[in-house]
Amino acid sequence: MTAQKLFQKIRAEGRRELTELEAKTVLEDYNIPVVKTQLATSATEAVQIAADQGYPIVLKIASPDILHKIDAGGVRTFIETSTDVADAFTKIIENAKKYDPKARIHGVTVQHQIPRGVEIIVGGLKDPVFGACVMFGMGGTWVEVMNDVSFRLAPTTFVSAKEMMGEIKAYPLLTRYRGSEGVDIDGIADIIVKISKLMSENQDIAEIDVNPIFARVDSVIAVDARIVLEESG
Amino acid sequence: MTTDINQLKTKDTNQLEDKSTFAKQRIRLIFEPQSVVLIGSSKIDEEVGMTSPELFQNIAYNMKKYYKYTFSELDIEKSDSVSQADLAIIVLPPEQSVSWAEQAMMAGVQAIIQITGGFSDKVREQYLKLAMKYHVRLLGPNTIMGVVNPTIGLNTTFERNLMPVTGKISILSQSGGVGAALLDWAVFYRIGIGKFTFMGDKLDIDDINILNYLVEDPDTKVIAIYMEGIKAGRRFVKAAKNISREKPIVVLKGAITSESAKLAMSHTASIAGSDNIFNAAFKEAGIIRVKDIDELFNASLALAKQPPMKGKSVAVVSNVGGPAILAADALVREGLKLAHLTKKTKDIITKRYPGVDVINPVDIIADARSERFKFILEHVLNDPNVDGVMVINMLKSCFFKPEDAKVIPEVAKKFGKPVVDVPVGAEDFKLVSDILIESPIPTYDLPDKAAKALKVLFEYNKIKFGKEK
Repeated sequence: MTAQKLFQKIRAEGRRELTELEAKTVLEDYNIPVVKTQLATSATEAVQIAADQGYPIVLKIASPDILHKIDAGGVRTFIETSTDVADAFTKIIENAKKYDPKARIHGVTVQHQIPRGVEIIVGGLKDPVFGACVMFGMGGTWVEVMNDVSFRLAPTTFVSAKEMMGEIKAYPLLTRYRGSEGVDIDGIADIIVKISKLMSENQDIAEIDVNPIFARVDSVIAVDARIVLEESG
Repeated sequence: MTTDINQLKTKDTNQLEDKSTFAKQRIRLIFEPQSVVLIGSSKIDEEVGMTSPELFQNIAYNMKKYYKYTFSELDIEKSDSVSQADLAIIVLPPEQSVSWAEQAMMAGVQAIIQITGGFSDKVREQYLKLAMKYHVRLLGPNTIMGVVNPTIGLNTTFERNLMPVTGKISILSQSGGVGAALLDWAVFYRIGIGKFTFMGDKLDIDDINILNYLVEDPDTKVIAIYMEGIKAGRRFVKAAKNISREKPIVVLKGAITSESAKLAMSHTASIAGSDNIFNAAFKEAGIIRVKDIDELFNASLALAKQPPMKGKSVAVVSNVGGPAILAADALVREGLKLAHLTKKTKDIITKRYPGVDVINPVDIIADARSERFKFILEHVLNDPNVDGVMVINMLKSCFFKPEDAKVIPEVAKKFGKPVVDVPVGAEDFKLVSDILIESPIPTYDLPDKAAKALKVLFEYNKIKFGKEK
C-alpha cells in the first residue's frame, strides 16, 4: 500500500496517528532501513516470530490508542528465551489494559534486539509558514534537554544533510574520537534526505519522529517511528 | 475578511508577482517619482491611524526641503483638485483616503504611499480593489514613515531633517519603531542609504515586491531587513534565493519565540520552534542572519564596501600588541583562521623593518605611521595565503595620526581582498572613522565587530559562489 492510500485508510478510521507498524511500512516504502517488526496476536505467535528473528528480542504493545508505550508498561527489551517471550507478551497486554481499559489492542510487535550504537533522531514537521521541514539531532533525552538539533526545509540534498549534521554540538560523538570508531555518517544523511522527500511528497503529514535510529560504523537502522497526519485531510 | 483580501490578491498575479514590467515600473515610482502630490489636511486630527495636521505639515516640510522634482501639496480643506503626479502620498483617515486615492488614480497617479492607518477590513478591501482596477501600486496603509530615497531627496517621513546620506545599503523594516531607530542610526553615524522602506500593512506591495525592486536598483548593493514575520514562507525563500546570489540580504529577525510547539505530539515538533525553522529557511534562501541592530549595520557596512572573502585566512596588521591578540581570539571564535604568511612576505618585511616580528598578528610597532602601514599592508595583501586583512591602528599610546589612515584604502583597492579597519577605542574610532567614512574601508571600534564583519564577508562568498576557494 502506498503512503497516500494508507493515510486515507487511517483517516477513514477516524485516526491521525499511525501505529508503529504502519509508520514503519511508510518508511520502508521510502527505502529507509527499518528493523524488521512483526505483529503477534498471541503468545504462541510471538514465540514463533521470535524464533524466526533470533534472540534477543524486543516486545512492544501495538495499540492505536497508546502513544507512550513505555509509560503504559508496554515495552520489554533484551528477552532471551521463549518462556520469557510468552510471559512478556501476557504481561504487556495486561499492563496495557490496566493503563487504558478503553484502548484498542492489536497485539504485540516482535523485533530482534539490535545492537544499540549511537542513538540519533531524524524528524519531520510541517511548519505553518515554511511548510515541510526535516530535523536531525541526537536521540534519547538529548533531543529535548539540549535543543541540540538542526533543521532544513524539505526536500533537502545529501550535501545539505551532511552540513546540518555538522551543525549540532554533539556532532563529534558521531566521528572517530578517542578510540571510538564513529558511525556511518553517509547512511544517516541518506535517511535525512529520504525523510525530507517523504515530508515534501506527502503534504498531509504533520509530524514524523524516527526515534531512535541506531547508528553504528557499518549500519544505520530505524528502531521506532511515529507519524502524525494533519488535522484535516 | 482578511482571507477575502488574500484571495483577491492571488487572483491578480500579474500585479502581485511582478511578472509584468508594467507592475514593476509602478513599484519603481514609489521610490523614484518625477512628481509627487501630498494629500492631507491642515484640520483633521484623528486619534487612531495617525492622521494629523502636524504629520501633513512635517512631510510637506521634508518634501520641500529635499525633493528635487515637482512637488505639490493638496489640502483637502481648501478643496483643491488633484494635480497630475506619478506618486501620491496620502495622510488622511481611511474613508477620505480611499475617496481621494480614487480621484488621484483617475487623474493618472500610478503609485500611492498610504501613510496613515486605522483601516477596517471593509475599507481595506475597497482600497485594494480600487488599486487593482487602476493598476496602481500601493505601499501601506499604516506605513507611517513611508520611504526615503536620498538620491532624489524623497523623504516621506514626518521627522524633520532626518535625511541619511546616499549610499549602497537599502533597508526594509517591518516595524515602524525599529525602522525609525535604524534611520536615526544611519543619519547619526553617516551610514549611506540607498532606499529605506517602512513596510506598513502590506495590503498590496509586500516584502518580495520590494526585494524584486531593490535587486535591480543600481543604488542598492546590500539589502538589510528587520523582519518580524512573513506569510508566504516558501514564496519568500524562493525570491530571496534568487536575489541573494546577486546582492547580499542581511536579516535581523524579531519575535523568535515559538507558539507552534504548544500542540506538538512528536519530539520534532515540540523542539522545533519558529526560530530553528527560520534558520533553516534563511539558509535555504542564502540570507545572512544577525542577532542585533549593531550586527545588522556592521555586516551591511562590510558587504556594502568590501568584496566577499574567498577563504578563511585573515592577517592582522596592528600598531599595538594587546588588541591584536584580542583580534586573533575573535577571528578564531568566528570560525576564521590566522593566515600563515609565506617566507617571501616575511623576508621582505623583515629586511625593510628589522624590528618588526613578522608572525600573524603582525605587530608593526607603536611608532608606525602611514609609510610603514603602507609597505607592510601591501606585502601582506599580496601574500597568496591571505584572504583578508584586519588593520588595527590606535592613536593613543601610538604615533599614528588620523590622516595616516588614508593609505589603507589606497593600498586595499589594488588587491580585491577585503580589508577592515579597527581604530580601537572611542575618540580614536571617531577620529579615524571621520577620515575613512567616504572610503571603501569600513571601520569598527572593536576587533570583535571587525571579526564578525569578515566572517560575514566569508559567508557571503559561499552564498554567492557556492564554495570556498
